[in-house]
Amino acid sequence: MADYTRRLPVYLLLDCSGSMTGEPIEAVRQGVKALLSELRGDPQALETAYLSVITFDSHARQVIPLTELVLFKEPELNAGGATALGEALRVLINCVNSEVRRSSPTQKGDWRPLVFILTDGSPTDIEEFHLAVRELKRIRAANIIACAAGSKADTSYLKQITDHVIMMNTLSAGDMAQFFEWVSGSIKMSSRRIDPGAAEMPPPQGFVVVP
Amino acid sequence: MGRIAEATLTDGRKIQYVITDNPPRGGMKYTYFTPDRSRVVQFFLHPSDARDPDVRKRLEAIIGAYNPTLSEEEGGARGNSASMAAYFSRKFCWPEAIVRTPEFGIVCPAYPANFLFRSGASNTLELRGIDKRSSWFTTRNRRFLQPGELGNFRNMVELSICLARSVRRMHQAGLAHSDLSCNNVLIDPQTGSCVVIDIDSLVVPGIFPPKVVGTRGYIAPEVLETIDLPRKDPGRNLPCVYTDLHALAVLIYEYLLLRHPLFGPKIHAPDSSEMDDFLALGPRALFIEDPKDHSNRPDDLEMTIKDLGPALEELFLRAFVDGLHHPEERPAAMEWEKALVKTLDLLHPCEDQDCAAQWFVLHDTNHPVCPFCGGPVRRENIVRLHLKSPLRGREGQWAGAGVVNLYDNMPLFPWHVLANTFPDEKADWNMVAFACHSRGRWLLVNHSLQGMTAPNGGLVPPGRAAPLENGAVFRACGGEKGLLIEVSRGG
Repeated sequence: MADYTRRLPVYLLLDCSGSMTGEPIEAVRQGVKALLSELRGDPQALETAYLSVITFDSHARQVIPLTELVLFKEPELNAGGATALGEALRVLINCVNSEVRRSSPTQKGDWRPLVFILTDGSPTDIEEFHLAVRELKRIRAANIIACAAGSKADTSYLKQITDHVIMMNTLSAGDMAQFFEWVSGSIKMSSRRIDPGAAEMPPPQGFVVVP
Repeated sequence: MGRIAEATLTDGRKIQYVITDNPPRGGMKYTYFTPDRSRVVQFFLHPSDARDPDVRKRLEAIIGAYNPTLSEEEGGARGNSASMAAYFSRKFCWPEAIVRTPEFGIVCPAYPANFLFRSGASNTLELRGIDKRSSWFTTRNRRFLQPGELGNFRNMVELSICLARSVRRMHQAGLAHSDLSCNNVLIDPQTGSCVVIDIDSLVVPGIFPPKVVGTRGYIAPEVLETIDLPRKDPGRNLPCVYTDLHALAVLIYEYLLLRHPLFGPKIHAPDSSEMDDFLALGPRALFIEDPKDHSNRPDDLEMTIKDLGPALEELFLRAFVDGLHHPEERPAAMEWEKALVKTLDLLHPCEDQDCAAQWFVLHDTNHPVCPFCGGPVRRENIVRLHLKSPLRGREGQWAGAGVVNLYDNMPLFPWHVLANTFPDEKADWNMVAFACHSRGRWLLVNHSLQGMTAPNGGLVPPGRAAPLENGAVFRACGGEKGLLIEVSRGG
């Protein structure tokens, strides 16, 4: 029988700039692995959530297109270069436009995508950043949650992207694991909610909600 | 292994539990296991819930006076015998105690092992230890499971009976579950059983309903429609027995037909998925098999409620046509239980070895075809018993009391031979007779019945058999409750 399940598109925007070298990028790799195994054990997430990864360093690219969880292959993540967050938002806009099914009089559309941004710095492509933010606001295409990781992350830029900004104090493996645990919890909640909106999970212990 | 901590219960007993990193979280609580993993200790995520006096009052009532898993003698529900308590303690993970320190919480039994996947349940996914929520089996997720995990159609009817009975037991006491859903009913198709979990947020008479939102796809349309009103607004529809009855019908439909009764092609709001979904499950919800309005009907619907036999067809029409927007029209849990039991007696084994369903409802003997695989049934294999019960005060007159399709080695139980006997938590589950197909003949072998007769009128003592020829009529057993059996063969 035809399938009338709406998809929940989930985009992870991961900072792979030089400052993530070493333990932080390894912690992100482990985090993505844990996220995947967590979501694959949840029948509703498995049925509805589709995952994509966009990475950014001096440039941004979609390393994994929107893929159903069971077929998802972990991306190879390497750190180095600047922080082209603006370009990453541009890639996000293009991906959402091309990958997310819109509702129409003849087609059931996807849920509004969930986007998680993880960065430990501030954008190095300011001009592109402002343009992309304006475009994102205009199309209101997604529920975005941003996480500033470590003391060098500048939350003021993230607040321009979304109201939902949290801060984790360190780039330690423990904090990163908690962050991905929280992301998977949020995706699970969203995949079973009546209106999968922005995640309403209280942030993990030690994380601060940026007002 | 984490650190061992100790909780003190309100009755003074102490219980140990293991503190782990990132304990599993539900919507309201997080969970630790006892060292032997037989029980869980759960605490509330939000301190405000732990302080809410209604939450405490509700839990005290659930654990005490409304508890069907404890006998009346042990402080459980009124009229509950030890055997009924034992029966229902296998059907619910019912809270056992309230934790006083280190903070307010509850103790529940852990899920029984057969409701957790073992390794090898899937070739694609690592599912070992994961709970068997209904949606593993009723959605596209089925494709990830090994065929042996899926059970057959008979198992799905059996576990539907089990769920209807458990919900009936709650409703009979005035309780409503308030969040019956694919997440809160674990099923084990291999054994045809289910267990209802998350019992702490029940609607208890006299206490304001719990702060439960419910689960998408199982929330009754009238509840979804008013979900944005403040919780104590008089216009807001809150969870109650009627909303459970919507969720129950949805679950049974999913178990039997492996699809959701309201998810169809109809688009209600072309510009927003969120609004479309709200309308499709709320104010404009429409049954995909609505007999008059076909606008939500998938093009490729193969099996329909008609294939489940008249008893279930009628109830599904009441639940999803008459009662979808009129809660009081919905069939009660007891009606589902009775109709499903009748349907179980009509099951016939599919003769195609490769048919995944293995069983189907043989309700129309003029067209004896398995609706799952299209395979025909040989007429010589159709043997029906028409049960008739004596009419009180009118000797020699009988009323229809059910139909049973026999298969080789089918056991018969007291409710097949005695009037006004029903297979429920009080039933005697000892076999009294069985069907036997031997050398081209069909026989009913008496196992323990007194006063069973053969069609020629002679007595059939235990260990002997009555031949089942077309048109034969005989007494199943003696006594004033003994049923009369009429045999029809070949459809």
